[in-house]
Amino acid sequence: MLDGFFASTVVQSALLIGGAAAALSGIIGVFTILRGQSFAGHALADISSSGGALALLLGISPMAGFFGLSLLGGLGLGQRRRADSSLVAGIMLGAGLGLTALLLHFAVSQRGVAGAAVTIMFGSLFAAPPGAGAWALGGALAGLLLIACLYRPLLLASLSEELAALRGAKVRLLDVLFLGMLALSVTLSAMSVGAILSTALLIGPAATALRLTRRPPAAMALAALLGVACAWAGVALAYASYGWTPGRVWPVSFFITACVLLTYIIAAWRRG
Amino acid sequence: MRYLLYGVLLAFSAGVAQAKSQIVLHAVGLESQYANVMAQIGGPYVEVRAIEDNPNADPHEFELSPGVARLLHGADVVVANGLGYDSWADKLLAGGKATVISAQAVRHLPASTPNPHLWYSPATMPAVARAVAAAYAAKDPDHANAYWRNEQAFVASLTPWNKALAGIKAHYAGAKVAVSEPVADYLLQAAGLSIATPFSLQAAVMNGTDPAPQDVSAQQALLSTGKVRVFVYNQQVTDALTTSFRAIAHKAGLPVLGVYELMPPSAKTYQNWMLQTTRALAQALAARQ
Repeated sequence: MLDGFFASTVVQSALLIGGAAAALSGIIGVFTILRGQSFAGHALADISSSGGALALLLGISPMAGFFGLSLLGGLGLGQRRRADSSLVAGIMLGAGLGLTALLLHFAVSQRGVAGAAVTIMFGSLFAAPPGAGAWALGGALAGLLLIACLYRPLLLASLSEELAALRGAKVRLLDVLFLGMLALSVTLSAMSVGAILSTALLIGPAATALRLTRRPPAAMALAALLGVACAWAGVALAYASYGWTPGRVWPVSFFITACVLLTYIIAAWRRG
Repeated sequence: MRYLLYGVLLAFSAGVAQAKSQIVLHAVGLESQYANVMAQIGGPYVEVRAIEDNPNADPHEFELSPGVARLLHGADVVVANGLGYDSWADKLLAGGKATVISAQAVRHLPASTPNPHLWYSPATMPAVARAVAAAYAAKDPDHANAYWRNEQAFVASLTPWNKALAGIKAHYAGAKVAVSEPVADYLLQAAGLSIATPFSLQAAVMNGTDPAPQDVSAQQALLSTGKVRVFVYNQQVTDALTTSFRAIAHKAGLPVLGVYELMPPSAKTYQNWMLQTTRALAQALAARQ
Protein backbone atom coordinates (compact mmCIF):
# COMPACT_ATOMS: atom_id res chain seq x y z
CA MET A 1 0.00 0.00 0.00
CA LEU A 2 2.88 2.33 0.76
CA ASP A 3 5.23 0.91 -1.89
CA GLY A 4 7.76 3.52 -2.98
CA PHE A 5 6.38 6.01 -0.43
CA PHE A 6 9.68 7.48 0.73
CA ALA A 7 11.33 7.20 -2.68
CA SER A 8 8.71 9.45 -4.28
CA THR A 9 9.96 13.02 -4.72
CA VAL A 10 6.34 14.20 -4.52
CA VAL A 11 5.91 12.52 -1.12
CA GLN A 12 9.25 13.85 0.15
CA SER A 13 8.26 17.40 -0.68
CA ALA A 14 4.77 16.90 0.78
CA LEU A 15 6.19 15.56 4.06
CA LEU A 16 8.63 18.48 4.25
CA ILE A 17 6.07 21.21 3.54
CA GLY A 18 3.29 19.63 5.59
CA GLY A 19 5.62 18.92 8.53
CA ALA A 20 7.17 22.39 8.56
CA ALA A 21 3.75 24.05 8.35
CA ALA A 22 2.22 21.85 11.06
CA ALA A 23 5.12 22.32 13.51
CA LEU A 24 5.13 26.12 13.28
CA SER A 25 1.33 26.37 13.18
CA GLY A 26 1.00 24.16 16.28
CA ILE A 27 3.18 26.47 18.35
CA ILE A 28 1.77 29.72 16.95
CA GLY A 29 -1.68 28.18 17.40
CA VAL A 30 -1.22 27.86 21.18
CA PHE A 31 -0.30 31.57 21.36
CA THR A 32 -3.27 32.38 19.12
CA ILE A 33 -5.74 30.55 21.39
CA LEU A 34 -4.23 32.04 24.56
CA ARG A 35 -4.60 35.49 23.01
CA GLY A 36 -8.17 34.77 21.93
CA GLN A 37 -7.30 35.56 18.31
CA SER A 38 -8.50 32.37 16.61
CA PHE A 39 -10.84 34.35 14.41
CA ALA A 40 -8.09 36.77 13.42
CA GLY A 41 -6.01 33.75 12.42
CA HIS A 42 -8.80 32.48 10.20
CA ALA A 43 -9.28 35.94 8.70
CA LEU A 44 -5.58 36.14 7.82
CA ALA A 45 -5.85 32.78 6.11
CA ASP A 46 -8.76 33.96 3.98
CA ILE A 47 -6.97 37.21 3.13
CA SER A 48 -3.86 35.25 2.17
CA SER A 49 -5.88 33.41 -0.50
CA SER A 50 -5.91 36.63 -2.54
CA GLY A 51 -2.11 36.56 -2.36
CA GLY A 52 -2.12 33.03 -3.75
CA ALA A 53 -4.38 34.14 -6.59
CA LEU A 54 -2.18 37.18 -7.27
CA ALA A 55 0.91 34.94 -7.42
CA LEU A 56 -0.81 32.73 -10.00
CA LEU A 57 -1.75 35.78 -12.04
CA LEU A 58 1.78 37.21 -11.97
CA GLY A 59 3.46 33.83 -12.30
CA ILE A 60 5.52 34.28 -9.11
CA SER A 61 6.00 31.84 -6.22
CA PRO A 62 2.69 31.16 -4.44
CA MET A 63 4.50 31.33 -1.12
CA ALA A 64 5.52 34.94 -1.77
CA GLY A 65 1.91 35.77 -2.65
CA PHE A 66 0.41 34.09 0.41
CA PHE A 67 2.96 35.74 2.72
CA GLY A 68 2.71 39.21 1.21
CA LEU A 69 -1.05 39.45 1.55
CA SER A 70 -1.31 37.80 4.97
CA LEU A 71 1.41 40.15 6.23
CA LEU A 72 -0.57 43.07 4.82
CA GLY A 73 -3.69 41.69 6.51
CA GLY A 74 -1.75 41.29 9.76
CA LEU A 75 -0.66 44.93 9.62
CA GLY A 76 -4.28 45.90 9.00
CA LEU A 77 -5.46 43.89 12.00
CA GLY A 78 -2.61 45.28 14.10
CA GLN A 79 -4.07 48.77 13.75
CA ARG A 80 -6.70 47.91 16.32
CA ARG A 81 -6.45 46.67 19.88
CA ARG A 82 -6.88 42.95 20.36
CA ALA A 83 -10.25 43.37 22.10
CA ASP A 84 -12.11 44.67 19.05
CA SER A 85 -10.03 42.94 16.40
CA SER A 86 -12.84 40.44 15.62
CA LEU A 87 -14.92 43.08 13.91
CA VAL A 88 -12.04 44.31 11.78
CA ALA A 89 -11.08 40.71 11.04
CA GLY A 90 -14.60 39.97 9.82
CA ILE A 91 -14.60 42.93 7.46
CA MET A 92 -11.12 42.22 6.13
CA LEU A 93 -11.95 38.54 5.65
CA GLY A 94 -14.85 39.41 3.38
CA ALA A 95 -12.85 41.97 1.43
CA GLY A 96 -9.94 39.54 1.08
CA LEU A 97 -12.10 36.73 -0.30
CA GLY A 98 -13.81 39.18 -2.65
CA LEU A 99 -10.42 40.22 -3.99
CA THR A 100 -9.57 36.51 -4.39
CA ALA A 101 -12.67 36.05 -6.54
CA LEU A 102 -11.56 38.86 -8.86
CA LEU A 103 -7.92 37.76 -9.09
CA LEU A 104 -8.91 34.13 -9.71
CA HIS A 105 -11.21 35.32 -12.48
CA PHE A 106 -8.25 37.08 -14.14
CA ALA A 107 -5.85 34.20 -13.53
CA VAL A 108 -8.23 31.65 -14.97
CA SER A 109 -9.42 33.61 -17.98
CA GLN A 110 -6.09 35.14 -19.01
CA ARG A 111 -3.47 32.62 -18.01
CA GLY A 112 -3.83 28.90 -18.41
CA VAL A 113 -4.01 27.73 -14.83
CA ALA A 114 -6.02 24.57 -14.43
CA GLY A 115 -7.79 24.03 -11.10
CA ALA A 116 -6.45 27.30 -9.72
CA ALA A 117 -9.28 27.95 -7.28
CA VAL A 118 -9.12 24.48 -5.74
CA THR A 119 -5.34 24.62 -5.33
CA ILE A 120 -5.40 27.98 -3.57
CA MET A 121 -8.39 27.34 -1.34
CA PHE A 122 -8.01 23.65 -0.54
CA GLY A 123 -4.37 22.94 -1.34
CA SER A 124 -2.65 20.43 -3.62
CA LEU A 125 0.22 19.16 -1.52
CA PHE A 126 1.07 16.54 -4.16
CA ALA A 127 1.42 19.26 -6.80
CA ALA A 128 3.72 21.61 -4.87
CA PRO A 129 6.13 23.58 -7.04
CA PRO A 130 9.76 22.39 -6.93
CA GLY A 131 11.81 24.11 -4.25
CA ALA A 132 8.76 24.81 -2.10
CA GLY A 133 9.99 22.27 0.46
CA ALA A 134 13.21 24.18 1.11
CA TRP A 135 11.34 27.48 1.40
CA ALA A 136 8.82 25.96 3.83
CA LEU A 137 11.60 24.56 5.99
CA GLY A 138 13.42 27.91 5.99
CA GLY A 139 10.21 29.76 6.85
CA ALA A 140 9.40 27.42 9.73
CA LEU A 141 12.94 27.70 11.16
CA ALA A 142 12.81 31.51 10.93
CA GLY A 143 9.45 31.50 12.74
CA LEU A 144 10.71 29.15 15.48
CA LEU A 145 13.82 31.30 15.95
CA LEU A 146 11.69 34.43 16.37
CA ILE A 147 9.48 32.66 18.92
CA ALA A 148 12.55 31.48 20.85
CA CYS A 149 13.86 35.06 21.04
CA LEU A 150 10.52 36.58 22.10
CA TYR A 151 9.19 33.66 24.12
CA ARG A 152 8.90 35.19 27.63
CA PRO A 153 7.50 38.64 26.82
CA LEU A 154 5.25 37.21 24.11
CA LEU A 155 3.79 34.58 26.41
CA LEU A 156 3.22 37.12 29.16
CA ALA A 157 1.57 39.56 26.77
CA SER A 158 -0.58 36.74 25.43
CA LEU A 159 -1.80 35.74 28.89
CA SER A 160 -2.31 39.26 30.23
CA GLU A 161 -1.77 42.52 28.40
CA GLU A 162 -1.96 44.56 31.60
CA LEU A 163 0.58 42.48 33.48
CA ALA A 164 3.00 42.57 30.55
CA ALA A 165 2.61 46.35 30.28
CA LEU A 166 3.29 46.69 34.01
CA ARG A 167 6.46 44.67 33.58
CA GLY A 168 7.59 47.16 30.93
CA ALA A 169 6.99 45.00 27.82
CA LYS A 170 6.16 46.83 24.59
CA VAL A 171 2.73 45.23 24.15
CA ARG A 172 1.79 47.02 20.91
CA LEU A 173 5.08 46.05 19.27
CA LEU A 174 4.62 42.45 20.43
CA ASP A 175 1.10 42.46 18.96
CA VAL A 176 2.43 43.46 15.55
CA LEU A 177 5.33 41.00 15.72
CA PHE A 178 2.95 38.23 16.63
CA LEU A 179 0.69 39.01 13.69
CA GLY A 180 3.79 38.78 11.49
CA MET A 181 4.53 35.31 12.87
CA LEU A 182 0.90 34.37 12.44
CA ALA A 183 1.14 35.48 8.80
CA LEU A 184 4.16 33.22 8.35
CA SER A 185 2.43 30.19 9.81
CA VAL A 186 -0.71 30.90 7.77
CA THR A 187 1.47 31.06 4.65
CA LEU A 188 3.05 27.67 5.30
CA SER A 189 -0.31 26.09 6.11
CA ALA A 190 -1.88 27.63 3.02
CA MET A 191 0.87 25.98 0.96
CA SER A 192 -0.02 22.64 2.53
CA VAL A 193 -3.78 22.42 2.96
CA GLY A 194 -4.89 25.59 1.15
CA ALA A 195 -5.78 29.04 2.40
CA ILE A 196 -9.23 28.23 3.73
CA LEU A 197 -8.18 25.00 5.46
CA SER A 198 -5.03 26.48 7.01
CA THR A 199 -7.11 27.27 10.14
CA ALA A 200 -7.29 23.52 10.70
CA LEU A 201 -3.52 23.28 11.29
CA LEU A 202 -3.42 26.53 13.28
CA ILE A 203 -6.25 25.89 15.72
CA GLY A 204 -6.82 22.09 15.69
CA PRO A 205 -3.60 20.66 17.16
CA ALA A 206 -3.22 23.64 19.54
CA ALA A 207 -6.76 23.22 20.87
CA THR A 208 -6.18 19.48 21.35
CA ALA A 209 -2.91 20.11 23.17
CA LEU A 210 -4.47 22.72 25.47
CA ARG A 211 -7.13 20.17 26.40
CA LEU A 212 -4.43 17.74 27.50
CA THR A 213 -2.17 20.21 29.37
CA ARG A 214 -2.56 23.77 30.61
CA ARG A 215 1.19 24.44 30.81
CA PRO A 216 2.00 26.58 27.75
CA PRO A 217 5.48 25.15 26.94
CA ALA A 218 4.19 21.57 27.13
CA ALA A 219 1.10 22.50 25.10
CA MET A 220 3.30 24.04 22.37
CA ALA A 221 5.53 20.98 22.12
CA LEU A 222 2.50 18.70 22.07
CA ALA A 223 0.67 20.83 19.47
CA ALA A 224 3.70 20.81 17.16
CA LEU A 225 4.02 17.04 17.59
CA LEU A 226 0.32 16.38 17.00
CA GLY A 227 0.29 18.71 14.00
CA VAL A 228 3.25 17.01 12.35
CA ALA A 229 1.74 13.58 13.09
CA CYS A 230 -1.59 14.61 11.51
CA ALA A 231 0.13 16.11 8.45
CA TRP A 232 2.28 13.04 7.87
CA ALA A 233 -0.57 10.61 8.54
CA GLY A 234 -2.66 12.58 6.04
CA VAL A 235 0.05 12.34 3.38
CA ALA A 236 0.42 8.58 4.01
CA LEU A 237 -3.35 7.98 3.88
CA ALA A 238 -3.71 9.98 0.65
CA TYR A 239 -0.85 7.98 -0.84
CA ALA A 240 -2.50 4.72 0.22
CA SER A 241 -5.86 5.86 -1.22
CA TYR A 242 -4.36 5.15 -4.67
CA GLY A 243 -5.08 1.51 -3.87
CA TRP A 244 -8.79 1.95 -3.15
CA THR A 245 -9.68 4.62 -5.72
CA PRO A 246 -9.36 4.12 -9.49
CA GLY A 247 -5.90 5.71 -9.58
CA ARG A 248 -7.17 9.07 -8.38
CA VAL A 249 -5.87 9.82 -4.91
CA TRP A 250 -8.22 11.63 -2.57
CA PRO A 251 -7.07 15.14 -1.59
CA VAL A 252 -4.32 15.20 1.04
CA SER A 253 -6.09 18.16 2.67
CA PHE A 254 -9.10 15.97 3.46
CA PHE A 255 -7.02 13.35 5.25
CA ILE A 256 -5.00 15.93 7.21
CA THR A 257 -8.06 17.80 8.44
CA ALA A 258 -9.79 14.50 9.25
CA CYS A 259 -6.80 13.46 11.40
CA VAL A 260 -6.86 16.87 13.13
CA LEU A 261 -10.54 16.45 13.99
CA LEU A 262 -10.06 12.86 15.12
CA THR A 263 -7.23 13.71 17.55
CA TYR A 264 -9.34 16.53 18.99
CA ILE A 265 -12.33 14.24 19.53
CA ILE A 266 -10.16 11.58 21.18
CA ALA A 267 -8.53 14.15 23.47
CA ALA A 268 -11.87 15.68 24.40
CA TRP A 269 -13.39 12.27 25.09
CA ARG A 270 -10.46 11.13 27.26
CA ARG A 271 -10.55 14.30 29.34
CA GLY A 272 -14.32 14.02 29.71
CA MET B 1 -13.47 39.13 -25.43
CA ARG B 2 -12.13 39.57 -28.93
CA TYR B 3 -13.71 37.75 -31.81
CA LEU B 4 -11.66 36.77 -34.76
CA LEU B 5 -13.00 36.95 -38.24
CA TYR B 6 -10.81 34.45 -39.89
CA GLY B 7 -8.31 35.44 -42.51
CA VAL B 8 -9.34 32.30 -44.30
CA LEU B 9 -12.76 33.74 -44.81
CA LEU B 10 -11.23 36.74 -46.52
CA ALA B 11 -8.92 34.62 -48.62
CA PHE B 12 -11.91 32.98 -50.22
CA SER B 13 -13.27 36.27 -51.46
CA ALA B 14 -11.87 39.25 -53.32
CA GLY B 15 -12.08 41.63 -50.39
CA VAL B 16 -13.82 42.57 -47.17
CA ALA B 17 -16.57 44.60 -48.84
CA GLN B 18 -17.44 41.84 -51.26
CA ALA B 19 -17.32 39.22 -48.49
CA LYS B 20 -19.77 41.17 -46.41
CA SER B 21 -22.18 41.72 -49.25
CA GLN B 22 -22.35 37.99 -49.99
CA ILE B 23 -22.90 36.83 -46.40
CA VAL B 24 -26.07 34.76 -46.04
CA LEU B 25 -25.47 32.79 -42.85
CA HIS B 26 -23.93 33.47 -39.47
CA ALA B 27 -22.11 30.62 -37.80
CA VAL B 28 -20.18 30.11 -34.59
CA GLY B 29 -17.48 27.60 -33.73
CA LEU B 30 -17.21 27.28 -29.97
CA GLU B 31 -13.49 26.53 -30.39
CA SER B 32 -11.28 28.25 -32.95
CA GLN B 33 -10.34 25.03 -34.79
CA TYR B 34 -13.99 24.27 -35.55
CA ALA B 35 -14.58 27.87 -36.61
CA ASN B 36 -11.69 27.58 -39.04
CA VAL B 37 -13.14 24.50 -40.74
CA MET B 38 -16.59 26.11 -40.79
CA ALA B 39 -15.15 29.17 -42.54
CA GLN B 40 -13.43 27.01 -45.16
CA ILE B 41 -16.71 25.30 -45.99
CA GLY B 42 -18.83 28.44 -45.84
CA GLY B 43 -16.60 30.42 -48.16
CA PRO B 44 -17.87 33.95 -48.82
CA TYR B 45 -21.46 33.10 -47.86
CA VAL B 46 -20.98 32.37 -44.17
CA GLU B 47 -19.62 34.68 -41.52
CA VAL B 48 -17.93 32.51 -38.89
CA ARG B 49 -16.83 33.56 -35.46
CA ALA B 50 -14.89 31.64 -32.81
CA ILE B 51 -15.57 31.93 -29.12
CA GLU B 52 -12.63 30.18 -27.50
CA ASP B 53 -9.63 31.47 -29.37
CA ASN B 54 -7.22 32.63 -26.67
CA PRO B 55 -4.20 30.32 -26.87
CA ASN B 56 -2.98 31.61 -23.49
CA ALA B 57 -6.04 30.58 -21.50
CA ASP B 58 -7.17 27.17 -20.36
CA PRO B 59 -10.30 26.31 -22.38
CA HIS B 60 -11.44 23.99 -19.59
CA GLU B 61 -11.88 27.06 -17.39
CA PHE B 62 -13.84 29.19 -19.84
CA GLU B 63 -16.12 31.83 -18.34
CA LEU B 64 -19.21 33.14 -20.04
CA SER B 65 -19.93 36.75 -20.99
CA PRO B 66 -23.14 38.42 -22.24
CA GLY B 67 -21.50 39.07 -25.63
CA VAL B 68 -21.11 35.34 -26.16
CA ALA B 69 -24.79 34.78 -25.38
CA ARG B 70 -25.78 37.40 -27.98
CA LEU B 71 -23.49 35.87 -30.57
CA LEU B 72 -24.92 32.38 -30.05
CA HIS B 73 -28.45 33.75 -30.17
CA GLY B 74 -27.90 35.21 -33.62
CA ALA B 75 -26.15 32.15 -35.09
CA ASP B 76 -27.64 29.88 -37.78
CA VAL B 77 -25.15 27.06 -37.33
CA VAL B 78 -23.04 26.27 -34.26
CA VAL B 79 -20.35 23.62 -33.89
CA ALA B 80 -19.55 22.39 -30.38
CA ASN B 81 -17.04 19.79 -29.29
CA GLY B 82 -19.23 18.01 -26.74
CA LEU B 83 -18.01 15.61 -24.02
CA GLY B 84 -18.46 18.36 -21.42
CA TYR B 85 -15.68 20.44 -22.99
CA ASP B 86 -18.07 23.27 -23.86
CA SER B 87 -21.12 22.35 -21.80
CA TRP B 88 -21.42 26.02 -20.80
CA ALA B 89 -23.07 26.60 -24.19
CA ASP B 90 -25.80 23.96 -23.78
CA LYS B 91 -28.24 26.21 -21.94
CA LEU B 92 -27.64 29.15 -24.27
CA LEU B 93 -28.27 27.03 -27.36
CA ALA B 94 -31.36 25.24 -26.07
CA GLY B 95 -34.48 26.45 -27.86
CA GLY B 96 -32.52 28.71 -30.23
CA LYS B 97 -32.75 28.84 -34.01
CA ALA B 98 -29.24 27.49 -34.57
CA THR B 99 -28.53 24.04 -35.94
CA VAL B 100 -26.12 22.66 -33.36
CA ILE B 101 -23.50 20.17 -34.51
CA SER B 102 -21.51 18.36 -31.86
CA ALA B 103 -18.25 16.64 -32.76
CA GLN B 104 -19.04 14.04 -30.12
CA ALA B 105 -22.42 13.29 -31.75
CA VAL B 106 -21.12 13.07 -35.34
CA ARG B 107 -18.40 10.70 -34.13
CA HIS B 108 -21.06 8.65 -32.24
CA LEU B 109 -18.99 8.73 -29.04
CA PRO B 110 -20.48 7.90 -25.63
CA ALA B 111 -20.55 10.64 -22.99
CA SER B 112 -18.14 8.57 -20.90
CA THR B 113 -15.31 9.08 -23.44
CA PRO B 114 -12.50 10.27 -21.15
CA ASN B 115 -10.48 12.37 -23.63
CA PRO B 116 -12.45 15.34 -25.01
CA HIS B 117 -9.78 16.68 -27.42
CA LEU B 118 -11.55 15.20 -30.45
CA TRP B 119 -10.10 17.59 -33.07
CA TYR B 120 -6.73 15.84 -32.75
CA SER B 121 -8.28 12.69 -34.22
CA PRO B 122 -8.11 12.42 -38.02
CA ALA B 123 -11.62 10.93 -37.97
CA THR B 124 -13.27 13.99 -36.43
CA MET B 125 -13.06 16.89 -38.88
CA PRO B 126 -14.26 15.01 -41.99
CA ALA B 127 -17.39 14.01 -40.05
CA VAL B 128 -17.84 17.56 -38.73
CA ALA B 129 -17.27 19.03 -42.21
CA ARG B 130 -19.96 16.80 -43.69
CA ALA B 131 -22.46 17.83 -41.00
CA VAL B 132 -21.55 21.51 -41.42
CA ALA B 133 -21.98 21.39 -45.22
CA ALA B 134 -25.35 19.68 -44.77
CA ALA B 135 -26.47 22.31 -42.23
CA TYR B 136 -25.35 25.20 -44.46
CA ALA B 137 -27.07 23.63 -47.48
CA ALA B 138 -30.31 23.17 -45.54
CA LYS B 139 -30.35 26.80 -44.36
CA ASP B 140 -29.11 28.30 -47.66
CA PRO B 141 -30.09 25.94 -50.53
CA ASP B 142 -29.02 28.52 -53.17
CA HIS B 143 -25.35 27.87 -52.41
CA ALA B 144 -25.60 24.18 -51.55
CA ASN B 145 -23.32 23.20 -54.44
CA ALA B 146 -20.62 25.58 -53.28
CA TYR B 147 -20.79 24.23 -49.72
CA TRP B 148 -20.45 20.62 -50.85
CA ARG B 149 -17.58 21.56 -53.20
CA ASN B 150 -15.79 23.26 -50.33
CA GLU B 151 -16.40 20.26 -48.11
CA GLN B 152 -14.80 17.95 -50.67
CA ALA B 153 -11.86 20.31 -51.08
CA PHE B 154 -11.41 20.42 -47.31
CA VAL B 155 -11.44 16.65 -46.91
CA ALA B 156 -8.98 16.33 -49.80
CA SER B 157 -6.69 18.89 -48.16
CA LEU B 158 -6.33 16.59 -45.14
CA THR B 159 -4.35 14.09 -47.26
CA PRO B 160 -0.86 15.50 -46.47
CA TRP B 161 -1.63 15.23 -42.76
CA ASN B 162 -2.86 11.66 -43.05
CA LYS B 163 0.22 10.79 -45.13
CA ALA B 164 2.47 12.31 -42.46
CA LEU B 165 0.71 10.21 -39.80
CA ALA B 166 1.12 7.07 -41.90
CA GLY B 167 4.79 7.92 -42.36
CA ILE B 168 5.35 8.01 -38.60
CA LYS B 169 3.40 4.78 -38.20
CA ALA B 170 5.58 3.04 -40.78
CA HIS B 171 8.77 3.99 -38.93
CA TYR B 172 7.85 4.08 -35.27
CA ALA B 173 4.75 1.93 -34.71
CA GLY B 174 4.54 0.91 -31.06
CA ALA B 175 7.18 3.41 -29.91
CA LYS B 176 6.46 4.73 -26.43
CA VAL B 177 5.85 8.41 -25.70
CA ALA B 178 5.08 10.32 -22.50
CA VAL B 179 2.56 13.16 -22.28
CA SER B 180 1.48 15.78 -19.74
CA GLU B 181 -2.20 15.86 -20.68
CA PRO B 182 -4.36 13.93 -23.13
CA VAL B 183 -4.47 16.94 -25.52
CA ALA B 184 -2.76 15.32 -28.51
CA ASP B 185 -3.37 11.69 -27.52
CA TYR B 186 -5.65 10.97 -30.51
CA LEU B 187 -2.99 12.20 -32.93
CA LEU B 188 -0.26 10.19 -31.20
CA GLN B 189 -2.42 7.07 -31.34
CA ALA B 190 -3.26 7.70 -35.01
CA ALA B 191 0.50 7.81 -35.62
CA GLY B 192 0.76 4.33 -34.12
CA LEU B 193 2.54 5.48 -30.97
CA SER B 194 1.92 4.03 -27.52
CA ILE B 195 1.23 6.47 -24.69
CA ALA B 196 3.10 5.27 -21.62
CA THR B 197 1.90 7.93 -19.15
CA PRO B 198 -0.90 6.63 -16.86
CA PHE B 199 -4.19 8.17 -17.95
CA SER B 200 -5.05 9.01 -14.32
CA LEU B 201 -2.05 11.38 -14.28
CA GLN B 202 -3.09 12.96 -17.59
CA ALA B 203 -6.60 13.46 -16.21
CA ALA B 204 -5.29 14.99 -12.97
CA VAL B 205 -3.18 17.51 -14.89
CA MET B 206 -6.05 18.27 -17.30
CA ASN B 207 -8.55 18.79 -14.48
CA GLY B 208 -6.13 20.47 -12.07
CA THR B 209 -6.73 17.90 -9.34
CA ASP B 210 -4.16 16.32 -7.03
CA PRO B 211 -1.94 13.93 -8.97
CA ALA B 212 -1.19 10.55 -7.41
CA PRO B 213 2.46 10.41 -6.24
CA GLN B 214 2.62 6.87 -7.63
CA ASP B 215 1.74 8.20 -11.09
CA VAL B 216 4.22 11.06 -10.77
CA SER B 217 6.97 8.59 -9.85
CA ALA B 218 6.05 6.40 -12.83
CA GLN B 219 6.19 9.42 -15.15
CA GLN B 220 9.52 10.59 -13.72
CA ALA B 221 10.95 7.12 -14.34
CA LEU B 222 9.66 7.16 -17.93
CA LEU B 223 11.28 10.52 -18.60
CA SER B 224 14.62 9.99 -16.90
CA THR B 225 15.45 6.44 -17.94
CA GLY B 226 14.93 6.76 -21.67
CA LYS B 227 11.95 4.41 -21.81
CA VAL B 228 10.09 6.89 -24.04
CA ARG B 229 11.19 8.58 -27.24
CA VAL B 230 9.54 11.97 -26.76
CA PHE B 231 7.66 14.01 -24.15
CA VAL B 232 4.57 15.82 -25.45
CA TYR B 233 3.09 18.58 -23.30
CA ASN B 234 0.33 21.15 -23.58
CA GLN B 235 2.02 24.53 -23.90
CA GLN B 236 -1.29 26.34 -23.54
CA VAL B 237 -1.61 25.36 -19.88
CA THR B 238 1.14 25.94 -17.36
CA ASP B 239 1.46 24.20 -14.02
CA ALA B 240 4.29 23.29 -11.70
CA LEU B 241 4.06 19.57 -12.41
CA THR B 242 4.35 19.91 -16.20
CA THR B 243 7.26 22.31 -15.72
CA SER B 244 9.06 19.78 -13.53
CA PHE B 245 8.45 17.01 -16.12
CA ARG B 246 9.91 19.20 -18.82
CA ALA B 247 12.98 19.84 -16.67
CA ILE B 248 13.52 16.10 -16.18
CA ALA B 249 13.09 15.46 -19.91
CA HIS B 250 15.59 18.20 -20.79
CA LYS B 251 18.09 16.83 -18.29
CA ALA B 252 17.77 13.35 -19.76
CA GLY B 253 18.20 14.71 -23.29
CA LEU B 254 14.71 13.60 -24.23
CA PRO B 255 13.08 15.46 -27.13
CA VAL B 256 10.23 17.65 -25.91
CA LEU B 257 7.28 18.65 -28.08
CA GLY B 258 4.87 21.43 -27.08
CA VAL B 259 1.39 21.21 -28.56
CA TYR B 260 -1.53 23.61 -28.50
CA GLU B 261 -5.00 22.91 -27.20
CA LEU B 262 -6.70 25.56 -29.37
CA MET B 263 -5.58 26.53 -32.87
CA PRO B 264 -2.57 28.84 -32.46
CA PRO B 265 -2.21 32.10 -34.43
CA SER B 266 0.86 30.62 -36.17
CA ALA B 267 -1.34 28.11 -38.03
CA LYS B 268 -3.14 29.36 -41.12
CA THR B 269 -5.71 26.59 -41.23
CA TYR B 270 -6.75 23.59 -39.16
CA GLN B 271 -5.14 21.15 -41.60
CA ASN B 272 -1.97 23.28 -41.62
CA TRP B 273 -1.88 23.18 -37.81
CA MET B 274 -2.26 19.41 -37.67
CA LEU B 275 0.40 18.93 -40.38
CA GLN B 276 2.81 21.24 -38.53
CA THR B 277 2.27 19.36 -35.28
CA THR B 278 2.72 15.97 -36.95
CA ARG B 279 5.90 17.09 -38.72
CA ALA B 280 7.27 18.43 -35.44
CA LEU B 281 6.43 15.06 -33.86
CA ALA B 282 8.29 13.22 -36.62
CA GLN B 283 11.31 15.47 -36.07
CA ALA B 284 11.23 14.87 -32.31
CA LEU B 285 11.03 11.11 -32.87
CA ALA B 286 13.93 11.22 -35.31
CA ALA B 287 16.03 13.29 -32.90
CA ARG B 288 16.49 10.28 -30.62
CA GLN B 289 17.86 7.27 -32.42
